Amino acid sequence: MDINYTPAELEFRDEVRAFVSVALPDDIAAKVRLGKHLSKDDHQRWQRILAKRGWYAANWPVEHGGTGWSVVQKHIFEEECAAFGAPRLISFGVNMVAPVIIKFGTQTQKDHYLPRILSGEDWWCQGYSEPGAGSDLASLKTRAVRDGEHYIVNGQKTWTTLGQHANMIFCLVRTDPDAQQQRGISFLLIDMASPGITVRPIITLDGDHEVNEVFFDNVRVPVANLVGEENQGWTCAKYLLTHERTGQAGIAQSKAALAQLKQVAARELRNGRPLLDDPLFRAQVAEVEIQLLAIEVSTLRILAAAQAGGVPGAESSILKIKGSEIRQAISHLLRKALGVHALPFVEEELDFDHAGELRHADYSAAPAGQYFNLRKLSIYGGSNEIQKNIIAKMILEL
Amino acid sequence: MDFTLSEEQQMLQDTVVRLVRDSYSFEQREQFYRSEPGFSWAFWQQLGELGLCSVPIAEAHGGFGGSGVDNLLIMTELGRNLCLEPFLQSQIHGAGLLQQLGNAQQCEALLPRVASGELQLAVALEESQSHYLLHDVQTRAVVVDGGWKLSGHKVVVVGGHSAGLILLSARTAGEPLDEQGISLFLLDPASVGVSRRAYPNIDGPHACDVVLDEVFIAADSLLGEPGRALPALRYQRGRAIAAQCAEAVGGMQEAFRLTLDYLKTRQQFGAPIGKFQVLQHRMADMRGELELASSMAILAACVADEVDSEERSRRLAAAKFVVVRAARFIAEQAIQLHGGIGMTWEYNLAHHAKRLVMLSHQLGDDDHHLQAYAELLKSA
Amino acid sequence: MKVLVAIKRVVDYNVKVRVKADESGVDLANVKMSMNPFCEIAVEEAVRLKEKGVASEIVVVSIGPTAAQEQLRTALALGADRAVLVESSEELNSLAVAKLLKAVVDKEQPQLVILGKQAIDSDNNQTGQMLGALTGYAQGTFASKVEVAGDKVNVTREIDGGLQTVALNLPAIVTTDLRLNEPRYASLPNIMKAKKKPLEVLTPDALGVTTTSTVKTLKVEAPAGRSAGIKVKSVAELVEKLKNEAKVI
Repeated sequence: MDINYTPAELEFRDEVRAFVSVALPDDIAAKVRLGKHLSKDDHQRWQRILAKRGWYAANWPVEHGGTGWSVVQKHIFEEECAAFGAPRLISFGVNMVAPVIIKFGTQTQKDHYLPRILSGEDWWCQGYSEPGAGSDLASLKTRAVRDGEHYIVNGQKTWTTLGQHANMIFCLVRTDPDAQQQRGISFLLIDMASPGITVRPIITLDGDHEVNEVFFDNVRVPVANLVGEENQGWTCAKYLLTHERTGQAGIAQSKAALAQLKQVAARELRNGRPLLDDPLFRAQVAEVEIQLLAIEVSTLRILAAAQAGGVPGAESSILKIKGSEIRQAISHLLRKALGVHALPFVEEELDFDHAGELRHADYSAAPAGQYFNLRKLSIYGGSNEIQKNIIAKMILEL
Repeated sequence: MDFTLSEEQQMLQDTVVRLVRDSYSFEQREQFYRSEPGFSWAFWQQLGELGLCSVPIAEAHGGFGGSGVDNLLIMTELGRNLCLEPFLQSQIHGAGLLQQLGNAQQCEALLPRVASGELQLAVALEESQSHYLLHDVQTRAVVVDGGWKLSGHKVVVVGGHSAGLILLSARTAGEPLDEQGISLFLLDPASVGVSRRAYPNIDGPHACDVVLDEVFIAADSLLGEPGRALPALRYQRGRAIAAQCAEAVGGMQEAFRLTLDYLKTRQQFGAPIGKFQVLQHRMADMRGELELASSMAILAACVADEVDSEERSRRLAAAKFVVVRAARFIAEQAIQLHGGIGMTWEYNLAHHAKRLVMLSHQLGDDDHHLQAYAELLKSA
Repeated sequence: MKVLVAIKRVVDYNVKVRVKADESGVDLANVKMSMNPFCEIAVEEAVRLKEKGVASEIVVVSIGPTAAQEQLRTALALGADRAVLVESSEELNSLAVAKLLKAVVDKEQPQLVILGKQAIDSDNNQTGQMLGALTGYAQGTFASKVEVAGDKVNVTREIDGGLQTVALNLPAIVTTDLRLNEPRYASLPNIMKAKKKPLEVLTPDALGVTTTSTVKTLKVEAPAGRSAGIKVKSVAELVEKLKNEAKVI
């Protein structure tokens, strides 16, 4: 039994560290650390830098331009990127639709879409949730009706993250309304520029425009855009979910957030001393750090098992729950650390280039909004309650 | 990274699993509890004969020189069946202190006997006022002709009633809360002036209070340099904590298993109660806590024998904190999910629950270790 | 006298086995594996014979995947002197195993071969008997007592309604029943010694044995769940139900 990385893994970590420390643009790192707005261009700049190094498609096999990394290497990579303040990669294209295309797509689909994902030419978003289909995803109603060489799509998707930037959307649509729930669903790739598509922003409680509603009104989609077989879309969706769940604990992001919390608590004052030296607050920071350590070791155990050929099973549901809870707990403490300075809602200070005088400090504008934004962690990707259902069913066989 | 066991560790585990399964049923445990030392000498001897008592002790002293992971394997199984023998106190904590502080002569004379299971040790560090602080020592030792004279009062010495020798901290210099001036002595409980009051603890093992009334002990009963024992006391408590975490994980796994079985069998409202989502989610929560606690027990086992460092101390404090919180959660929920039957003496779950809750009262509770961790918190 | 003991790697008897969703077999992923309990008894008996000075060398053999080395090491830790693994990742039926054991017997020339009477995974209860047929050795199955006397071994067998004692000419084959002995625990020093004992790996090819199976498993099903019990009002009703519904009296 050995809890340490192998020498080869440590060497890899140093290589990643050396690269990211130099290659990550300072302005992007600062925006991430301080919680300022990231533009579409910021994301794409970082993606291009990684793509040039050959490190953008960590989850792809080598023959398609991926890294071929082991699960442990992927973990190390994420960890190092987050530690330097790299933005989390927008996963819809590179880590969600791409693995599905690689696994289920036709040669033509692979040849067409994969290079465009690598180059950043296409920005993908996800069309899963609907107003009436959240945790109960299989009850989705968006219809696709075959008409010659096209499907005619009608319906509505919602919670479409960064759909405002996207030129492509992958959708689960119902192709057989008479089949039972999961059976009649298909996986369709749709061009966002198609006539009949309307994107409407949803402003979240932090005032941010991150998610959208997407309406489909008689949208014509070529049959060639079907991935896998008609009515077999649920298989793709399930496969994609297994990809979504690995790394969902977000250890790397939580570690970076904890470091930021400590920095802020070292600068904020109480009773003439840094807040971090206040015994009660310090104990709370200690507690989240301890919990995070426990989640990290658990993650490493699952990674080691996966490395040895095991399939990460329902244990990853435990990590999703614990990981989201700890991230939320850290954001709660960061908000608390700011005291009254968490109250003012001065949106222009969320712009990195904001030229005016800062109300309090460069780090104080974002945390309250971020705290509210991060409530999403326990809701999306299968809510924490759904994860508990999975644990009860898969691990406990209840 | 590798979380698998070696072939030898696998066999060691098999041996302990079988031994405990065969000779430590709940009914047998109840008999051992009611018997004279409050545990089974026969079982203790078996631990010795199979070489298990020697695992934590260095090869140079007749031991096996096992790693923290080897200790974890044994402790987990002892915990799974609620074993009452003071393996942790004697073989890990006591032997560890003796090995770290004892001179060649002391180690040579005693450790082989400890390794074989012939000599049992106990560790007396807590006092009425000390509340887990190892440097809060009021028991005094003064130099007299040919040795030392000890006076004071040690409390809740687990296994102290049956031990052949007790390792005992006493102040040889300084004021009550000073970190300097604390020494460790080997006490023969049969010495004149020693009185012991024995009792069972609420979670099963037996313990005693030790009152020292001007007890004379020979000069060679001192372990290590006078006044300098504290770092070793702290270091060895870390090793004991790692073992305790492993024991707790065994207990948690068993409490969890019993509860899960119960949920699948107990019928109410025409269905097994495990069909109710509110109980399913509670079980999922327990499973999550168990996962984290297991991870921390492994981490603790891996760092327990490392050279002393702040990082080691942090990790051990963190492990104890996580395990204590998880253990209490699982214990309370296990009783709750069982309902009335979980409240009865005749059902082993109740005894697991007691053990899991009370482990926080030994070697420092969650507050103690959270504070320890907070003091060692690294800045960003 | 050289004793050969054959052992099998099986799912640990404490594990609740789960049938795979496609009913092709039992799910072995992350399942604890152990030595078949009857084989443990066989090893124990051989070790006792050695301790009595009857046996001079104990060779333990297993046929199975690489991982079966774990069980061989356990046998070495229990007191066997050396081990042989006939490595095969295929699922072998009893006849194939018996043929392979025959090849090992030819190579090793033991005076006594001890096997478990059956393995708890497939419950065939065939290998010992088939080996007896292939080697032409005398066989004493379901042994509850084994005594070697000169060039004979006396085997007390558990048969329906009583015990039967037979004398076998050596070389002979004995299969063990549950009450033959109580296996010991592997002690730590012996676990460490086992590490240094020799373990030879052979292949069916090297032994010149073909293992093609004539039997194919079509389906494995879990037992039906227990139905709920009922309360009877009187002894008479109980007797009536036992007689007419359960048909056990």
